[in-house]
Amino acid sequence: MSSVQDLGRWGVQQFGVPIGGAMDVVSASIANRICNNEDGDALLECTLHGTEILFNKTTLFAIAGGGAYATVNGQPISFYKLIKVVAGSTLKLHPGPFGCRSYVAFAGGLKIETELGSASTYTQSSIGGYHGKNLEAGIVLELKHQIHHLEKSKDIVVNEHGFGISNWKSKSFNLPHVQETATINCLAGPEWDAFDEKSQHQLFNNTFTVSAQSNRMGFRLEGPLLSLKEKSEMVSTAVTRGIIQVTNQGNPIVLMADAQTIGGYPRIGRVCSNDISLLAQCRPGQKIMFKEVGGLYTN
Amino acid sequence: MLRLYAIHDHAITIEFSQEISEDANMDAIEMQHAIESSPFKGFIECVPAYASLTVYFNEKISALDVRAQLMEFYASQSENVKSGTTKNNKQTIIIPVCYDPALGVDLPWVSNHLNLSEEKIIALHSSIAYRVYMIGFIPGFPYMGTLPQQLELPRKQTPSMKIPMGSVAIAGKQTGIYPAEVPGGWHVIGRTPLKMFDKTKEPCCFLKAGDLVQFKSISLEAFNQYS
Repeated sequence: MSSVQDLGRWGVQQFGVPIGGAMDVVSASIANRICNNEDGDALLECTLHGTEILFNKTTLFAIAGGGAYATVNGQPISFYKLIKVVAGSTLKLHPGPFGCRSYVAFAGGLKIETELGSASTYTQSSIGGYHGKNLEAGIVLELKHQIHHLEKSKDIVVNEHGFGISNWKSKSFNLPHVQETATINCLAGPEWDAFDEKSQHQLFNNTFTVSAQSNRMGFRLEGPLLSLKEKSEMVSTAVTRGIIQVTNQGNPIVLMADAQTIGGYPRIGRVCSNDISLLAQCRPGQKIMFKEVGGLYTN
Repeated sequence: MLRLYAIHDHAITIEFSQEISEDANMDAIEMQHAIESSPFKGFIECVPAYASLTVYFNEKISALDVRAQLMEFYASQSENVKSGTTKNNKQTIIIPVCYDPALGVDLPWVSNHLNLSEEKIIALHSSIAYRVYMIGFIPGFPYMGTLPQQLELPRKQTPSMKIPMGSVAIAGKQTGIYPAEVPGGWHVIGRTPLKMFDKTKEPCCFLKAGDLVQFKSISLEAFNQYS
């Protein structure tokens, strides 16, 4: 599955429109920066494998993130590199060993009409992206600017397979790397005190598994059920990505990019904002463990 | 009691009350207006809810400084309340609603369940102005209250799979309007021809938190003439 995303739709949450945008903003920004784009330029978010892109024109692009391994015209290519392809080339994403989302940025950025200030695709309300929906076979996207040369693409030699890779290497940065059990830094949430001691203990001392019912709105977690000290109805208030809310049945859900703007479930924790990108790379079946990094008023 | 807490490294909520209250909602919206008319460095947006206001900001300001800013806004707001300079005289927005059971499909059931005639339900529902507490759950859905007590009833046991766009519905102490065709658990008693959400318009939303709304009963003929 793939969709057009950017860094989100800001300023309309008071009207119930979610922020949305790239699930893993770190990888999305890295892909754009490799292409000398702005961090907020529109690019593709490809979930796991299956996406195939046919280039009609010579193009510079880069991939960041995880969830797939990539080939151009059948030849494997690296992530985090600036790559030039000639017209007629095909980029294909195959099943990869780890991660969940790869971001394909094109030098010049995708040409997408913004809606409510963003190119991000929000499928629930058909806002943004390509007619508000995920991409399907046959859709043709254009670039804002056709850029064939960048300072860091000078050394690229196009090989007999129709592509070339720049020697340019980014300065070291911490790539989101998903371990067998991903450690996600986390803080106590606004309703932490309302949960019973057992549940508080379980949040930080058990592994949870990302359920198959996870999507861009939220990750449902399988593991111990969490419960309140006493049943109570909460007055709905604003929620956002990273919030760990607990349903009446006791299942924790971590809200992600397309989270609704307002919610009414008690919030036992919240994922540190820096770790939301790492969490976004956790595919269904991935084990995670929350690590407590501070108290309720750390912020 | 006022409570401040973070929901994200770049978002802080000010909770004015732990209950749905008109006063707390007014406080939240008044603070939203104050912040929006003199935004601090790094401010992005405000999200009002029933009894709270959440403020989003960027990395140009620290969370600690945002807390200090919010406390300042709150202090000057309290001053305004004391000196009576707050403005709460709002115009009422009239929203036409067709209560014909062809559109208000749950009206017969509600009538039966509440032991009130359909005419009485319509008269009660359109008798008073409602406050828009917040917009949420989906783009453009206004949560409005407070419903006359005679009309209170719990949500549907099993939500409807498809509620048509424009449906005016009730649940608990509240009434709302479905801005798009979605599943939902409220009882549909009518439909408005007005569009609650339009992504191509500025603003995209017909209503906003703090608005006052009164429903006006229209005939099926009048409803059909709208479109």
